[in-house]
Amino acid sequence: MELLNYDFMQRALLAALLTGLAAPAIGTYLVHRRLALMGDGIGHVALTGVAVGLLTGWAPVWTAVVVAIAGAVTIEVVRSYGKASADVALAMLFYGGIAGGVLITGLAGSSAATLNTYLFGSITTVSTGDLWVIGGLAVVVIAASIGLAPQLFAVCQDEEFARACGIPVRLYSIMIAVMAAVTVAVAMRTVGLLLVSALMVVPVATAMQLTKGFRTTFTLALCLGVVPSLSGVVFSYYVDVAPGASIVVIALAGFILAWPLGTIVRRRVRGRAGGEDPRVTGAHVPTEEHPHEHDEQCGHPAVTHDDHTDYLHDGHLHAAHGKHYDEH
Amino acid sequence: MSERVVDVRGVTVELGERPVVHDVDFHVGAGEVVTLLGANGSGKSTLVRAIVGLIPVASGEISLFGETLRSFHDWRRVGYVPQRTTAAGGVPATVREVVSSGRLAQRRPFLPASRADRAAVERAIELVGLTDRAGDGIHTLSGGQQQRVLIARAAAGDPDILVLDEPNAGVDRRSQEAFARSLRTFVASGRTVLLVLHEMGPLAPLVNRGVVLDGGRIVHDGPVPASAHGHPTTATVHAGAYTHGPGRVPAAGEPHDHPHGDDEEAGPFGWNS
Repeated sequence: MELLNYDFMQRALLAALLTGLAAPAIGTYLVHRRLALMGDGIGHVALTGVAVGLLTGWAPVWTAVVVAIAGAVTIEVVRSYGKASADVALAMLFYGGIAGGVLITGLAGSSAATLNTYLFGSITTVSTGDLWVIGGLAVVVIAASIGLAPQLFAVCQDEEFARACGIPVRLYSIMIAVMAAVTVAVAMRTVGLLLVSALMVVPVATAMQLTKGFRTTFTLALCLGVVPSLSGVVFSYYVDVAPGASIVVIALAGFILAWPLGTIVRRRVRGRAGGEDPRVTGAHVPTEEHPHEHDEQCGHPAVTHDDHTDYLHDGHLHAAHGKHYDEH
Repeated sequence: MSERVVDVRGVTVELGERPVVHDVDFHVGAGEVVTLLGANGSGKSTLVRAIVGLIPVASGEISLFGETLRSFHDWRRVGYVPQRTTAAGGVPATVREVVSSGRLAQRRPFLPASRADRAAVERAIELVGLTDRAGDGIHTLSGGQQQRVLIARAAAGDPDILVLDEPNAGVDRRSQEAFARSLRTFVASGRTVLLVLHEMGPLAPLVNRGVVLDGGRIVHDGPVPASAHGHPTTATVHAGAYTHGPGRVPAAGEPHDHPHGDDEEAGPFGWNS
């Protein structure tokens, strides 16, 4: 592994590791809350932040953090008011972020190539200073998403119930938005602003194919985020492409592999479902009030069963038993 | 009268400028099982949502356990079961994980669940008869079983009052009976229940008192009206009370467990004797 002899590769791999952990960690909550596209929106807005950094000479990672947090909190506030025009307002925010970013970059006299390294990542540009910032922020995001997991899960699962438990739902919602914004800034050097959302969503979607619980999905998504991140950076070392593209393509390949596997697993789970199902237990379970007399003409497929005839009914069998029907 | 667990005094609730509940007075005493009844749009769900603090009241005052909502912070004493839309989020979650959320009022951020928390979760799952499904994804359960998970989630916090919003809507009869059994266990320990119901179903024998709402006003507060005969105020209730009544077409997307449900003979409040 001669690539590890290069300082810039060590830094790039470390940044990729942190990104690969932080992005799916917050991504699991976003997907659970059905806000999978939120990362995309924040990425667009963060571009303006990067451009401000280029114009002013401040570190773009910091200006991106600040602008991304402002954008994310705006998105969250607009969303929580739930007005009909909210999606249009959000769309305009996203367009403004991209346009503002390109405009300010132009004013700063930076080239499109510079912008590209932020949009799709670049393995050679992670400086030691960047790495400290990325590391600090990523650790905070990961620690919060694990330590506050029960609270964040409840808020994403059922906001109304969480409020009735006395949980400060608005505070946690804003925290999720801020964590997503910070992750975008962390990830912009490896996967880039336009593809960061993919690293938040794709590992989670892949993990979901194979799991049935939230915690297992979360853990598996972290693994599935790290593997493509590291291998994507390595791939970019050998083949000169933007690491963002190779990371996302590898993550998507994982999803395509997991999908048929998940279909098989789900089919088997469905076969096991129904612990109190009379088909499984053989218990005597009378049906609910049944106004309908089954006979040959009733249209329900008849199934001969030992000494009597059952009628196939909504996925289960009804058997005449005196005046009522039994579930079979 | 023993302690007033819920005390609603002159409460008006508005949803977007439109008053939905008008100047309502009623209370629930400790150990009572009280049902709010009424047709769709009569304001019963809005009223319970105001009681658990989800929507502000425009005027009047609500107290829980003798404290006004503004100063009430002891939310662990209240177990709320929202009207079910869908129990599942975007990511799969197991029954146990969802029920564990019910302990949040007891837990502190960054600290793992205590042994007592875990035991309470298992007890609540057992209460609704889903122990064998505890590790399964909630999206694999039937509508009635999902509803029971939400009830377990509320019960996991060991609340002194359960507030349930239409727990039987779109739930098959067998799950309704399982729910009635769980509720009987809960009530037997001397605790209080406030229910919003569309039809009484197997719960009828448990309920002490019925409060009937019509157009946002209370039109009856007393023993559960037994029949429509000679009781003009409940006629409106009955119009909406049959989940399976003739002429009621299930809304699109509404779970409908029985294909012949619309032909079913239902007694008052859908209670088949």
